[in-house]
Amino acid sequence: MSRKVKDQLCNMLIWLSAAFSVGILVLVVGFIFSKGWSKISLDFLFNDYESKTQYVTLESDQAYQAPASLSESALFSENLGVALELKEDHYEIVWMDKESPLKEATNNADEKVKISKGDCVQQIKVSGKSLKLDKKTDQEEIVKALNENNTLVMKVMSVGGGIFPMIVSTLLLVLVALLFSAPIGILAAIYLVEYAKPGKLVNVIRFATEILAGIPSVVYGLFGMLMFVNTLNLGMSILAGGLTLTILLLPTMMRTTEEALKVVPMSYREASYGLGANKIQTLSKVVLPSAIPGILVGVILSIGRIIGESAALLFTIGTFAKLPVNPESGNFSLLETGTSLTVRAYIEVKESGNVEMAAAIGIIILIVVFTLNLFSRLIAKKFSKANN
Amino acid sequence: MKKDMSLNKRRVVLEKFFHGVFLLAALIAVLSVALIIIFIFGKGLAPFFSGNEYGTYSFIDFITGLKWTPQSGEYGVGYMIVNSIFATFGAILVGVPIALFTAVFIAEIAPKWLAGIVRPAIELLAAIPSVLYGVFGFAVITPLVKQFSPYPTGDSLLAVIIVLTIMILPTIVAVVETAIRAVPKSYKEGSLALGASKIQTIFKVTLPAARSGILTGIILGVGRAIGETMAVILVAGNPESGIATTIFSRVRLLTTNIALEQGYAAKLHEQMLFSTAVVLFIFIMIINLVLAQIQKRGGDR
Repeated sequence: MSRKVKDQLCNMLIWLSAAFSVGILVLVVGFIFSKGWSKISLDFLFNDYESKTQYVTLESDQAYQAPASLSESALFSENLGVALELKEDHYEIVWMDKESPLKEATNNADEKVKISKGDCVQQIKVSGKSLKLDKKTDQEEIVKALNENNTLVMKVMSVGGGIFPMIVSTLLLVLVALLFSAPIGILAAIYLVEYAKPGKLVNVIRFATEILAGIPSVVYGLFGMLMFVNTLNLGMSILAGGLTLTILLLPTMMRTTEEALKVVPMSYREASYGLGANKIQTLSKVVLPSAIPGILVGVILSIGRIIGESAALLFTIGTFAKLPVNPESGNFSLLETGTSLTVRAYIEVKESGNVEMAAAIGIIILIVVFTLNLFSRLIAKKFSKANN
Repeated sequence: MKKDMSLNKRRVVLEKFFHGVFLLAALIAVLSVALIIIFIFGKGLAPFFSGNEYGTYSFIDFITGLKWTPQSGEYGVGYMIVNSIFATFGAILVGVPIALFTAVFIAEIAPKWLAGIVRPAIELLAAIPSVLYGVFGFAVITPLVKQFSPYPTGDSLLAVIIVLTIMILPTIVAVVETAIRAVPKSYKEGSLALGASKIQTIFKVTLPAARSGILTGIILGVGRAIGETMAVILVAGNPESGIATTIFSRVRLLTTNIALEQGYAAKLHEQMLFSTAVVLFIFIMIINLVLAQIQKRGGDR
């Protein structure tokens, strides 16, 4: 084979490989978006995961005005300040007055119930009569029942299918994991760059971080379950997941901070010492401020890592699609179980083969992760310009 | 004068205090590794010693066993070890040439504007969470494999290899590209001056000079492939026994074994999952040692 033919063949292979690598990205991202796009909506982001049916008691104290924008087919209740509209075979709340009694609704157990637009009204009980709402029900009768008495009971179904609980859990998880890993990682990097003298201790620390960086996340999950969930008795919770991720993130955090500290020119430190500042002053007033963009890049990359992580979380935060809220007090709690977006995407496919749902969650994850990536790139660019 | 002394003293104490805080933070990394090793090895090795509260299990049976059926008390990970090696080796075999060529493309062949598109694209590939590769594999790759497979499902070693290949690409490309860029310009210039073509220079001069970087990239790829869980769990099939005989066989890997059963395992069964993690851990340690060796030799030259 002549040299020219060989060269051309190799050249072709190189172009093909590059095209393949980029093609894969387009294919995977394209697949996720095309499969999940139809599910994406505000409801998807802000609805609860499970649909829930409750009886709520309503008490009216004033008369309400119908809004001008209300459609012809909607049924309006002056008594409750609410408008219902028939969608397929159920009645949906399409409008609510700001002061409507539905905003203050309570259920049988006297707990507050959040009713919002899009929820279904299935039944009305008023003055001892009960009226079921579906497409066969006479519309005039519904309006009459809605306005008949000042107290009435309504059977309301809040529509699920959303990922709000996972969004909240993921945000809390990011918060907890960063709260622990960022200070530890940054302080440790300061030690390695500014204080440590080469020797056994530094070698041990470096070796340890290298091992940490190599451990597969599923092993972190196993360790987290044993250490945080069982031994420290935190149970499957946001806190247990966050602590597991703290260790997993340490090597990245340390390495990026180290890089950021190393590029701060020695002359800065010397000038500071020359002016009579001591080591801590030099660190806090000179070195750290000029290393902040680099450290920030590390933090942003870590957020991406937290959002993408799943194997380490599967058995440390749990897989239930619920808000991390204490059922008794109703407050958010880090000791409650929840699940992150990524873990839920896995569960959706694994347990019910629901690829659409997983892909829709995937879109949210990809948008966040890619945005973070862009941010870190911009910061890094600005940083390197500023230093030159 | 006395006031100055006390101020100085306070400064010294403060300096010492902060030194201690920084050192403490750095030692947390060491402490974490120690804890992980103690917990994982402690629980994972317990079944192989007499006096274990949930009964002992022979280490030989564990490491060579070809069947994992907790309900009948059989815990063999031998077939998973072999399958994990097959899958990793397969991904390296397919992924390394593609990654190598892609890195060459970015560093040497592509015009600047095109390299400016391809490089970020590869980096994004690394940013996609592994679960999404799993979803992609589940919905796209396994149905595709099923069309060619003699078996009724598309879950297979082949699907695992394809997913892993995609996942190790960005790791290897990034490392190799850096290594290629680090090759001194004079090497290339010398080769070109002797009449070699651009392609000949790349394959005969640049790549051999970047050898240790390429090797580092491959080892990192191996580490990533052998530890990957969530992307492969959805496409592997995870049978209770069996070394893969063809690329269409369903496989269970060390990592997927842990993630699948961790949720409900108890007593001896749970301990055996930790034993699986010990095997995985040892693999990772070997990879780390090899890596350190390569970097040491690369540094010597």
